[in-house]
Amino acid sequence: MKRFSRAKFFKGMNLTVFTFAMLFLYIPILILVIYSFNDARIVTSWKGFTLKYYGQLFRNVAIRQAFLNTMLIAVLSTVISTLLGLLTALGLENKKLKGRKGFMGLLYAPLVMPDILMGVSLALLFNFLRVNTGMWTVLIAHVTFCVSYTVIVIQSRLEGFDNSLIEAAMDLGAKPSTTFFKVKLPLIMPGVIAAALLSFTLSIDDFIITFFTSGRGFDTLPIYVEGTIRRGTITTINALSTLVIGLTLLLVVFTKRIRKSLISSF
Amino acid sequence: MKNSVKSNKLDYLLAAPTLIWLTIFFLVPYLIVLIYGFLTPDIFDVKFEFNLDAYRQLLDGTYFRPFLLSVRLAITTTLLCILIAYPVAYLIARASDKVKNTLLILIIIPFWTNLIIRIFSWRIFLSYNGVMNNILMRIGLISQPLEIMRTDLAVIMVMVYVYLPYMILPLYSVLEKLDFTLLQAAMDLGATEVKAFFKITLPLSLEGIFAGVLLVFIPSLGTYLIPQLVGDQRSLYVGQVITYKIKNIPRNWPMASALSFGLLVLVAFFLLLGYILLRKSKVRGVV
Repeated sequence: MKRFSRAKFFKGMNLTVFTFAMLFLYIPILILVIYSFNDARIVTSWKGFTLKYYGQLFRNVAIRQAFLNTMLIAVLSTVISTLLGLLTALGLENKKLKGRKGFMGLLYAPLVMPDILMGVSLALLFNFLRVNTGMWTVLIAHVTFCVSYTVIVIQSRLEGFDNSLIEAAMDLGAKPSTTFFKVKLPLIMPGVIAAALLSFTLSIDDFIITFFTSGRGFDTLPIYVEGTIRRGTITTINALSTLVIGLTLLLVVFTKRIRKSLISSF
Repeated sequence: MKNSVKSNKLDYLLAAPTLIWLTIFFLVPYLIVLIYGFLTPDIFDVKFEFNLDAYRQLLDGTYFRPFLLSVRLAITTTLLCILIAYPVAYLIARASDKVKNTLLILIIIPFWTNLIIRIFSWRIFLSYNGVMNNILMRIGLISQPLEIMRTDLAVIMVMVYVYLPYMILPLYSVLEKLDFTLLQAAMDLGATEVKAFFKITLPLSLEGIFAGVLLVFIPSLGTYLIPQLVGDQRSLYVGQVITYKIKNIPRNWPMASALSFGLLVLVAFFLLLGYILLRKSKVRGVV
């Protein structure tokens, strides 16, 4: 009897902590969404429903430009880092490769470094080389912090790969290239998509590395938002944030398979 | 034999582009950080003249406080994350498959929402005439608004908020694989619930805790954005000091380089410490 009640106590405690954790995670976001429709300059009280901030948002040229910059960098860095990641993961499948361990170390190193160090070191590199910072330097930086993730996510998919399928295809007379494109690539595709999605998310989320590697005149959305918060004109940021949160929700809900692949790579 | 040499060559070729990329854009930049630390600062740039001032200042205690604050913040954040994440991960791991999926989505949504937007939402929540103060005053818990924004408490709250999913997910993936019949067996043999937890569940989930600590503690050491947006501007963290030295005029890039190097050493120290602890616990046979 006593044991039973103790088990119940544990379960109750877990549930309580869980509930608090959920409230903790969601209340700020929820408030942000609600206030994006609030017809008041400051966020103290509810003054009625409005969509005017969304109107301001869409008319704002700087935000539109920042959004386009973000997407451009995200798409390009995703394509490049996923391609690099796929090639590397395939190459490193060969466990007998000389120097493999050292290379793996180099791949993991960026993951255990605080972002700010990558930002500072790249900023100094571009200064040393006398390169003008802008779109290209941001793109280079984004590929650099994404590529380790893409390699690792695709590698974890390759780990469970059944090589007898390749042998079967070869036995049946398929050329190596055919085997790769018709058998192997389709089978590891969920991993490739997960890697691409992860690097896309990392790219649009990054503030600090972009902050150090973007020049004046090339703002991504996080950079623009930070600048706006600092200047104190925040009303459109509520609306912008709500749109971003909505997009995230859609992405998370509609990508079940990819999500699973992402969780299993943890 | 010939075939394997050939395929080795191909494998090198496949891996080479990333290897070259990371060498140029990850390793070489650290070398430059090392060099810049010994140069002379200029208002907008650096002068290529040898100078030991930056490292002297790094070691003479001028910048001791930002480092101390950052380590303290990283430790506090990590501990709070473990305390909250463990019950949450445990609950998810033991839920039925259908519920499990929903709960995981709930954890991932904030994780995928833009970082700066989440921090911004906390500013609204915590501000002097913000929502939390309004609620607390309305239910009569406080008579005057609390000044939480721009305090160390605000920094800790937002840090835990941002890094919590990074602790929950690795813990979950370890706990999910845990064989819960072991617990049942221990309890059948007379162990209490508490004892079974400390003797079985906790040791078996150590690897998840280590992974989580790695994902939370290390980035916390270099954090800039959170203290910048919600913290007290009188207590600066290492990340902020480095950023100011790079961005604000007069610039002091040698100092920023020396501080970055200090942070790098600190990170390496903690990684080594973690590695030794993990090895030790493996030798003792708990993991």
